[in-house]
Amino acid sequence: MDFTFTEEQLLFQESVRDFLFNEVTPERIRASWQSDTGREHLLWQQLTDLGLVGMTVPEEHGGLGMNEVDFILLAQECGYVALPEPLVHTALVAVPLLSDLGGELAAQWLPKIAAGQAKALVGLEQNLLVEDAHVADLLLLQRGDAIYALTPEQVSLRHNESVDPSRRLYGVDIPADAAPAVTGDIAVDLTGKTLNRGALGAAAQALGLAQRMVDMSVQYTGERQQFGKLIGSFQAVKHHMANVAVALEYAKAPVHRAAYSIAMDEVRAGRAVSHAKLVACAAANLAAKNSVQVHGAMGYPWEVDLHIFMKKAWALANTWGDAGYHKARVAQYIFSDEAQLGAVGTFS
Amino acid sequence: MKLSFSAADEQFREEIAGWLRDNLCGEFEEIRFRGGPGDEHMYVEERKAWEARMHRGGWTCIGWPREYGGRAASIEQQVIFNEEYARAGGPGRMGHIGETLTGPTLIAFGSQEQKQRYLPGILRGEELWCQGYSEPNAGSDLANVKTRARFDEDSQQWQISGQKVWTSLAHESQYCFVLARTDPDSVGHKGLGFFLVAMDQPGVEVRPIEQLTGTSEFNEVFFDEAVCSAQDIVGLPGEGWKVAMGLLGFERGVSTLGQQMLFQNEFDEIIRVARENGAAQDPAIRQRIADAHVGLRIMRFNSMRMLSGGGDDGSLQKEAMIYKLYWATWHRNLGKLAMDILGAESEILDAGPYELNRLQSMYLFTRSDTIYGGTNQIQRNIIAERALGMPREPRG
Repeated sequence: MDFTFTEEQLLFQESVRDFLFNEVTPERIRASWQSDTGREHLLWQQLTDLGLVGMTVPEEHGGLGMNEVDFILLAQECGYVALPEPLVHTALVAVPLLSDLGGELAAQWLPKIAAGQAKALVGLEQNLLVEDAHVADLLLLQRGDAIYALTPEQVSLRHNESVDPSRRLYGVDIPADAAPAVTGDIAVDLTGKTLNRGALGAAAQALGLAQRMVDMSVQYTGERQQFGKLIGSFQAVKHHMANVAVALEYAKAPVHRAAYSIAMDEVRAGRAVSHAKLVACAAANLAAKNSVQVHGAMGYPWEVDLHIFMKKAWALANTWGDAGYHKARVAQYIFSDEAQLGAVGTFS
Repeated sequence: MKLSFSAADEQFREEIAGWLRDNLCGEFEEIRFRGGPGDEHMYVEERKAWEARMHRGGWTCIGWPREYGGRAASIEQQVIFNEEYARAGGPGRMGHIGETLTGPTLIAFGSQEQKQRYLPGILRGEELWCQGYSEPNAGSDLANVKTRARFDEDSQQWQISGQKVWTSLAHESQYCFVLARTDPDSVGHKGLGFFLVAMDQPGVEVRPIEQLTGTSEFNEVFFDEAVCSAQDIVGLPGEGWKVAMGLLGFERGVSTLGQQMLFQNEFDEIIRVARENGAAQDPAIRQRIADAHVGLRIMRFNSMRMLSGGGDDGSLQKEAMIYKLYWATWHRNLGKLAMDILGAESEILDAGPYELNRLQSMYLFTRSDTIYGGTNQIQRNIIAERALGMPREPRG
């Protein structure tokens, strides 16, 4: 039993953290809100050069062949800066789905993705809309028990505004005569796996978002004075942050456990993922609520950066299965015949 | 990262499971699943006998080093031990304070003489301990203890006078570790000593406190020139706070596992009731059950993350610090969930006088969880100030 990460994994996390923190600033995110696509080719190239974009692409297709455990700490760092680029989506959702689909599709697209020359984005019916479909070179779309692999020319996109200005969301219409890549049990199985991976990515980013909001709030309440004292010294203020700290710290192990569960292809990975998604998104939403509160009136202006992170947390909580969906999945397990409750079964 | 047990670990599992099968039966059948939190006053004699049986099997103090009679069990083995113990319905351990608090404290801070004198009694499950920390005016502000320890030159002994309160199992214990002031002019955490005091002596009086459960696990303990030999201070006079805090660190270590397994048994009981009375069909209840299940898994994973050295990834080692707040709040919510699953029936007692059923007793007991061992409010102060580095609140 070992719940730790390797020295190598931690060092890589650190270098990615430094890069993202310096490059993906709130100013740059605000600038992206005004741009046509909201995405930057240069940044994507930099992420590619760092090895992040192709990290989970199998080695035979030009990637690093790493797994969810290797990527999970990096996904947290993406959350910490509220990275608008679809990096987590690529590494944790699109690439594994393409790898699973295999064959010609994987051989054609994975090398291009690893080289930063193409983007593939995934749309499940569980999510209302497809994020970043406007910059996709390939769309992997699930409808019922079919998965389609289509280029943007083959579909029509309808833009929708998101509460999070960093997110670009699209309804995608598939023409009636389009042929699915896979159907039936295989498609259903892949849909389930894809949902789990998407939820894992959202959960990991939620951890980073929560940490960012805690850091901002601790800093602010350590500078702002009222009644001649730092407001962070007041219990009514600091208890808000202590509650977030507990929720956040305790959400980490379930997220790491879920990453491991998916990487090992465990049969009950779905349950581990639901745990992770529920608690990580709850932590991020609590961080958002309490951070806005302890910022006082300074939590409310558009110019203050807090809402960049708050809105991303909100959006992530409702994608790849919202809290109701994941709780229902856990409850269904508890009351099922296969449930292994009881004291034994620490890793069941 | 490797989240599974090895073949050797599984072999260890066979061993303890087999031993429990062969021993937790017959005369001990009636104490299965009994004597846990909120039920600690039950089957005391039977549970003492069980401690002796545990010792004969070599299953007390398994985490202690071999030189003190333990098995030097690995973290994995201790996880497995606790899993199997709870699965078999192992009763609440009478010796848990000695095994998980006194023992590790003496091993870390005690003299050779103290180790030789006190560890064997704990190991055999014969000598029980209680904790003399809180006082009427030293609760959240623990450093405000007023109990005095005076070294009497004539008898060459310490004399202890003062009052402790909320002392669990004091009426069953042979010894109490007492935090007392060695320097009468000192204030706060300076000038304290950590004493090993025999309970069976004229200067010690124990008075039970009846709780809102109608039972008495806690006591008041009065010391009136109670004696304690010169050898029975752990560390030097003035070092008591360091020892007392070291002890609290052990409270948050491996001993958390056993507690979680008891929680798991309670949770399973709640699920059983929910299935039986139909509450399991109520979507709101199902969501809360899912939440409780997730919370339980969180505690388990975090204990193991902490114990395997995780959580050191650039962030603070907060697990130990935040555990109390988390489990206490979770358990209180579980108690409320149990009552909501019982519905109107939750009000009805099994029998008089004031005979609570297990879930009612659990619910009422959980109201103390968020208070004893540091209230939620104090925990939040500590987390905010030490883990997050927020400014300290002004204190008188």
